[in-house]
Amino acid sequence: MGKYVLRRILQMIPVVLGTTLLIYALVFALPGDPVKAMFGEKPVNDAVAAQIRSEYNLDKPFIVQYLLFLKNALTLNFGNTFAGRPVIDVIAGAFPVTIKLALMAFVFEGLFGVIFGIISGLKKGTWYDSVILIVSLLLISVPTFVTGFVGQYLFGVKWQILPVTAGRNPGFLDLLMPACVLGSVSMAYIIRLTRTEVASNKTADYVRTARAKGMSNRAVTMRHILRNSLIPVVTYLGADLGSLMGGAMITERIFNIQGIGNTLWQAILRGEGTLTVSIVTLLVLVFVVCNLIVDLLYAVLDPRIRYE
Amino acid sequence: MTAQNHAIATPSAQGALPGQERYVAPIEETPLKEVDSVDESQPARSMWSEAWRTLRRNPLFIVSAVLIVLVLLVAIFPSLFTKGNPNYCDLENSLNPSSPSHPFGYDLQGCDVYTRTIYGTRASLSVGVLTTILVVIIGGLIGAVAGYFGGWVDAVLSRITDIFYAIPLLLGAIVVLQMFRTSTSIWKVVFVLALFGWVSVARITRSSVMEAKNLEFNTASEALGLSRGRNLFKHVIPNSLAPVIVVATTSLGTYIVSEATLSFLGIGLPTTVVSWGGDISAAQNLLRVAPTVLFWPSLALAITVLAFIMMGDAVRDALDPKSRSL
Repeated sequence: MGKYVLRRILQMIPVVLGTTLLIYALVFALPGDPVKAMFGEKPVNDAVAAQIRSEYNLDKPFIVQYLLFLKNALTLNFGNTFAGRPVIDVIAGAFPVTIKLALMAFVFEGLFGVIFGIISGLKKGTWYDSVILIVSLLLISVPTFVTGFVGQYLFGVKWQILPVTAGRNPGFLDLLMPACVLGSVSMAYIIRLTRTEVASNKTADYVRTARAKGMSNRAVTMRHILRNSLIPVVTYLGADLGSLMGGAMITERIFNIQGIGNTLWQAILRGEGTLTVSIVTLLVLVFVVCNLIVDLLYAVLDPRIRYE
Repeated sequence: MTAQNHAIATPSAQGALPGQERYVAPIEETPLKEVDSVDESQPARSMWSEAWRTLRRNPLFIVSAVLIVLVLLVAIFPSLFTKGNPNYCDLENSLNPSSPSHPFGYDLQGCDVYTRTIYGTRASLSVGVLTTILVVIIGGLIGAVAGYFGGWVDAVLSRITDIFYAIPLLLGAIVVLQMFRTSTSIWKVVFVLALFGWVSVARITRSSVMEAKNLEFNTASEALGLSRGRNLFKHVIPNSLAPVIVVATTSLGTYIVSEATLSFLGIGLPTTVVSWGGDISAAQNLLRVAPTVLFWPSLALAITVLAFIMMGDAVRDALDPKSRSL
């Protein structure tokens, strides 16, 4: 097991290097002058531009720029934003909000996704199975931003149960609706996944054996059907935690949450390469680490998986 | 022949001692079930025609096929469904409620929402279809080559796939597309979505090619002297297509949603192109005043995506009854 973990971590290194290089190339090698973007409409003095270029290493060849970025990133020194604030401070200020939002969405989708999925799978073919299935299909086909607007309108404006937008330092109630909106699509996928897993395990041979041996219905469901059905669900959930952080961009914009997604959006709009690259790199890292944990978890949960 | 004849056989014939009787169970007279019988006069049905038979009887398939055909018709011949011009807008009509000739009412600019919803179909569907085609070509090729040739080819291609896999579709698309913010087009959106979308198809193709390559008939055809390249195209790819088709169908819906999301952020399709995403985005501020303006393009979008997801489900059920759906 220890060897397996080590090997997986080592395998992660080239992936992270490749991904950061790709992002760096996409942000910096494409058309558009960051120095011009920095000044916006104002005219740029050549000497000032040259100084900024050397300060941000923009005058060096691309690969050197990337290596310098990597070197600085290792010491958590991501440079400054155009406004002069250290990038790491901006990230540290915005990240906790997004983590809170993503975790709430995670709990929401895990809890309701699994519960509805189990009901649906155990009672396959009944009317509430159909209702759950149709609702989950609808959630998948309606884009998150539409779900967000509708939620905002119904709960925030019409019935006034929940706050319409979240301001600075949002509390639990402020984030409740955004979290549900953010987790809604994944919840629908979890319902579908749990449903098929439960339905196929329900008729598995070992379940029939357990029943034949006189095990109670409850024990069969809890110990045999659910345990086996939830392995793929756990792995899906784990991988999803990483993508929730990226998906938070839309939700944060709709509900005006000052999290990492909103910060990234602002950075992109202003053409702030350094900030953009730093945040995207961070999000990708979270995603890769989540996937690694899922792979390891899978090996623990399912003894049939061999770590070669 | 009666059961009695079976049950008591003559001892001498059975070789048993005198006085002993042997019980022989009667032959079960239950006829073979219809399913078990094979009509040998007919040529064997291929996997595809078998799948088509299952598919035709699936109500899910019928519903989604009807919807998809309808959406395609609207996309190709929008003028059949409306006489209006989507770009003809009169501020005098701004936010006017629906009337018999304009069932969905008007938006803020005074454009007919029904006409715009009809004309928006083409843009959304083109992005979905073109991206899917591109993704299947790129992902399918990379996945098939990696899975079939294995070794260092697989190692290199798999690492490249891992790198792209680490960037979520929407995040990558946003980073790239914001650079073309002032000059977007349908093709740019398609290319960018394909750039980050091919990974899932590549992964599925790779594993399914690896599975298909080890089947006996491949060993046989290779032993008979078929070259590796020809074998790949003649046997391995046709036999590993099924999961790819399923993923492609379902992804088509995802790409349409992604396009709408990008248009909502203002970096998707240009505003000159009539699209659902753009119209939804424009209607977002009107939610409190005129929710229907947001409702109709969203409904059209949802129905289209739903149709493709249901089609994916139906195709999967037909091609692989044992497969697990997500």
